Amino acid sequence: MIPSLRLDPRAKLVIVICISTLAVFLEKLSFMLALLVATLLVAWLFQLHSSRSIGRIKKVLSVIIFIAMLQSLFTNAGTPLLSIGHITIISTYGLQRGVGVLLRISIIVLSAALLTTSSSRDIVQGLIQWKMPYELAFMVSIGIRFLPLLAEEIQDTFVALQLRGVELKKIPMKRKIKTYSYLLMPMVSSVLIKGRELSMAMELRAFRAYPERSSLRTLKMKHMDYAFILLSLSLTSAVFYIYMHY
Amino acid sequence: MFIHVSEVSFGYKKGEEILKAISLTLRQNQFTVIRGDNGSGKTTLGKLLVGILKPDSGSIFIDGRKTSQMSLGEIGKQIGYLFQEPERQIFTSTVGEELSLSLELNNEKDSSQQDRVTELLELFQLLPLINQFPFFLSRGEKQRLAMASILVNQPKFLVLDEPTTGLDQVRRRVLSELLLAQRAKGVGMAVITHDEEFINRLADRIIVLEGGVIKSDTFTKA
Ligand SMILES: Nc1ncnc2c1ncn2[C@@H]1O[C@H](COP(=O)(O)OP(=O)(O)O)[C@@H](O)[C@H]1O
Ligand SMILES: [Mg+2]
Repeated sequence: MIPSLRLDPRAKLVIVICISTLAVFLEKLSFMLALLVATLLVAWLFQLHSSRSIGRIKKVLSVIIFIAMLQSLFTNAGTPLLSIGHITIISTYGLQRGVGVLLRISIIVLSAALLTTSSSRDIVQGLIQWKMPYELAFMVSIGIRFLPLLAEEIQDTFVALQLRGVELKKIPMKRKIKTYSYLLMPMVSSVLIKGRELSMAMELRAFRAYPERSSLRTLKMKHMDYAFILLSLSLTSAVFYIYMHY
Repeated sequence: MFIHVSEVSFGYKKGEEILKAISLTLRQNQFTVIRGDNGSGKTTLGKLLVGILKPDSGSIFIDGRKTSQMSLGEIGKQIGYLFQEPERQIFTSTVGEELSLSLELNNEKDSSQQDRVTELLELFQLLPLINQFPFFLSRGEKQRLAMASILVNQPKFLVLDEPTTGLDQVRRRVLSELLLAQRAKGVGMAVITHDEEFINRLADRIIVLEGGVIKSDTFTKA
């Protein structure tokens, strides 16, 4: 048993990218189930506290049930499992699709959470050493942290727009799209304002005061990291190969 | 016109109640101030009043109609809400367009409404800024812009979340004058604020929130 696996953040990034790519492309339930098990195993290796991710997955569960019902209602595929008169409420096909979406979302949420087991400083450091410009690497890591905050703001903005007196349900599609386009402005300005505040705070702490950045802390990829990167890349290719041919 | 809150409880997470069975009635002829420590749930109560958040239990009525059965669009025509962060409610690329947005969205562009826009631009000292890009306005200007845009719909009631934060002495004066003018026109108000001077000048009624309940509810003027 490996008590706590401390991998280089770059190795983690590669693993996460492999897992989420697979999650997007795989269609067969059996493959997705196997992938979920693999993801859980990796999460356990990294000692991820998965209760938070499970909370997130629970939130989308009702949406998924709804999707399953829609798929059952509007397609004739599969055998009906539950029906009222001639109307199929749940069919095997709808259930299958619903479970598929659930698996996919669970895998992506879990794998993304793996990144939170590295500090954002380490992620930045790792990316720089891969020759990504410091500013860009920094922004990637900030982006990861700011996402939940932005989500709440976008929700407020959407509400504010409706409070201007728009009945979104009642207007035709074409005007609806135009109306939605108004959301762009506050979203962009919120990102810009965050950036402005952040850059001010950084300058005050002498970020980029010297042209060449010297880091006391350098990350070194160990054999273990290379092994994991190689392993995840080859596993992913293998799965793709099998998936295409069988 | 009145807003009636009946036994409303709310929590962002299960098992955590930010507001506990709150009941109160806000009337159009009162200037109500809502105060309380940071995190006491003022913003949450404000968002419940305009239907941005839905109560976990209890109901809120606007003129006797349950907000849970009204669309945000309907509520917005009766109540104006000013976010603590004005950036969240500015949608266009010039100050002038922002005020016409409600009319644009609702496909109503007769001349009396255009006159109202001009009047509001003047009242809120926005005419000199009419072609400016809102992003570069100062906080006070953004707030005046957001408020003026809300008033285009002629709401009968305003809910304002900490409108004086970030404003200097002069700007606060200007804001309280504007609010007094709206009140003289019969617009009811619930203002979330800590600002003592502002409260002394304007409040008819002060509601204090603490620990998720109303700790006191006092009328200051007859
Ligand atoms: N979107 C949210 N999700 C979870 N908790 C929240 C959210 N918004 C506010 N809270 C919590 O609810 C409590 C009341 O917040 P709020 O209504 O903003 O208080 P106030 O405006 O009086 O400072 C606080 O403890 C805050 O942390
Ligand atoms: Mg607040």
